[in-house]
Amino acid sequence: MIGFAGLTHLGFVSSLASADKGFDVIGYDPRKATIDGIAAGRFEVSEPGLESLYARAKPRVTFSADPAALAGCSVVYIAVDVPTSPDGRSDVAPVRELVTSVAQAVRPGTILVILSQVHPGFTRQLTPAVEAFGCTLMYQVETLIFGRAIERALHPERFIVGCADPAAALPSALRSYLDAFGCPVLPMRFESAELAKIAINMFLVSSVSTTNMLAEICEHVGASWSEIAPALRLDARIGPKAYLGPGLGIGGSNLGRDMATVEMLAAEHGTDVELVRAWRSNSRYRRDWALRVLHARMPASTRIIAVWGLAYKEDTHSTFNSPAVELLGALRPFALRVHDPVASRPAALDGFDLTVTASPLEACEGADVLAIMTAWPQFRAVEAHEIARRLRTRLVIDPFGVLPERACGEAGLIALRLGDGTPS
Amino acid sequence: MIGAGGFVGRTVVSQLSGTGVELVALGSRDADLSSPAAVGILQDRLRADDAVVFVSALTPDRGKDIATLMNNLAMGAHVCAALSARRPSHVVYISSDAVYEERAALVNESTPCDPPSFHGTMHRVRERMLIEQLGAAGVPLAVLRPSLLYGAEDTHNGYGPNRFFRTAIKDKKITLFGGGEEQRDHVAVEDLASIVAATLRTRATGVLNVATGASRSFGDIARLIARLVGDGVQIEERPRASAITHRHFDPTAMLRAFPEFRPMPLEAGLGRMADRLGVHP
Repeated sequence: MIGFAGLTHLGFVSSLASADKGFDVIGYDPRKATIDGIAAGRFEVSEPGLESLYARAKPRVTFSADPAALAGCSVVYIAVDVPTSPDGRSDVAPVRELVTSVAQAVRPGTILVILSQVHPGFTRQLTPAVEAFGCTLMYQVETLIFGRAIERALHPERFIVGCADPAAALPSALRSYLDAFGCPVLPMRFESAELAKIAINMFLVSSVSTTNMLAEICEHVGASWSEIAPALRLDARIGPKAYLGPGLGIGGSNLGRDMATVEMLAAEHGTDVELVRAWRSNSRYRRDWALRVLHARMPASTRIIAVWGLAYKEDTHSTFNSPAVELLGALRPFALRVHDPVASRPAALDGFDLTVTASPLEACEGADVLAIMTAWPQFRAVEAHEIARRLRTRLVIDPFGVLPERACGEAGLIALRLGDGTPS
Repeated sequence: MIGAGGFVGRTVVSQLSGTGVELVALGSRDADLSSPAAVGILQDRLRADDAVVFVSALTPDRGKDIATLMNNLAMGAHVCAALSARRPSHVVYISSDAVYEERAALVNESTPCDPPSFHGTMHRVRERMLIEQLGAAGVPLAVLRPSLLYGAEDTHNGYGPNRFFRTAIKDKKITLFGGGEEQRDHVAVEDLASIVAATLRTRATGVLNVATGASRSFGDIARLIARLVGDGVQIEERPRASAITHRHFDPTAMLRAFPEFRPMPLEAGLGRMADRLGVHP
């Protein structure tokens, strides 16, 4: 039996994926409201296909707010969220507390595996406290992607497992669980695994930042990044799945947290970290692309602005570090008409003249301009001429190219996209 | 207004006049800021509920040497001493983009300050004086760092719109270094005055660049001015003494601070300058 302690986005989805793979699963979380919510079909997270996965997994998974429920597990994953400060600093105290409480609740011989994001050295430091209860502590890299969490949980590319001694065989219960997913398993020392997680994210940040930097140059020299990216994907050194879509900086919390961790490690050990500072600076700068374009292009008479999207990216409810929220926060003098399929109006926008509408087109009614700040798939289906019929001007800020270029042209809309320059 | 007689000071005074703000305009005739006696004079004129705009400095056309630097720093120290003692309700210091490192091609408020000139060093040190002294005294401080300013009242003869207009009118000639390829962000002085007024109105604090976000080359400006002046103004190119550098501004912080502010486009600003200079092609 496999246990998951901490029914966060990662813990909840992973528990369902494990049950779907045929394991009996216990999901534990001390928050009773979370357990009651799951029982009532109210989930704290949003993922495509979550309801159907839950329906499939339900016969094999039990959720409880009592840690004693984990007593029958041979492996317990620790998946509590690590709180992050606005500047990306992690607070790992909740991981330490949960590991300790789970170690007290399970039988001796149980394997505890930290899935939460921790800094290099954390797992080794905590190992004696877990071994005191007769348990084994391990670490496993998890690369949750909001909006694709289920796909990644069911079909991982590989497992990176941090061990006290990578030369020793993995505990059989953990090995047989991991083998069920049919992907490579890479045991390595704790510190390597902990840093591997950060390394993966730093390479993603590097790709995103390089893309964003070059996309801006495209906008000024009349090139189109959408024409360049396919050529890069065919280069084996870059790869077909590289992060080559221009975006509004680096969203979400995980990448920002890892950049902060690298800066902290560099400061502690005296290594060069200017590159991370440059990534941060570029991210802040590109995040405000829509604000600059809006001010540069909207008529002076603009009073009402429609905004589609609040979430930091499609298929998630999270508005943390969301460019949409950042944009709205800079538009206080304007009347704002906002629609998001899932995300709620954040408290940061309290006191604004902001109307949340039931549909994207309703947001456009009487607005001067439209900004499409989250690339929700349902926005792609909205007819461009219906937008044009409702807007007072023809200006659409469409950073991600959600609306088809040809349809916009036919409807007379001027859609401004990231990385899309106009040849002189 | 400390420095009310200068190019910027006069424009701010003009813009605040008639807004109902009780204005105390102090110029060099009221107090020689380079003298220690200025501390007492300013203290006598300041009240605790005043908002103070400090814009007085010896500009590079009046000296780029160490003596000018030290004079400017003494002026800053005296004003700081008076402000710390009197503790006004708000202080706005008009600094300059000269505080930034020279190689910065895209400048925002986080760009490292490494001034390449005594003029920039002077502003940076004055900023530090004010931040330290007023911070300790609990006085809210806003530092505005304008890019290159232009306006009909500009008495300086810096390379740019002002000199181009003068030579175009007087000599029917504008002289560029090279082809005037260098791009800079030129700000109408009235726009700076509007930002000062908005800063006072909102009691804003912190550092803010004042720029349009749209840099243009000196060559473009020369051609615009030549057209405005007309009458066969020639543009002459002289060998440049240094390599081409550009400077652009990221206006995001200004857009966030003052979302309703719209900077004057260069064409409109130069057109207004031409009107005020009585240019009729």
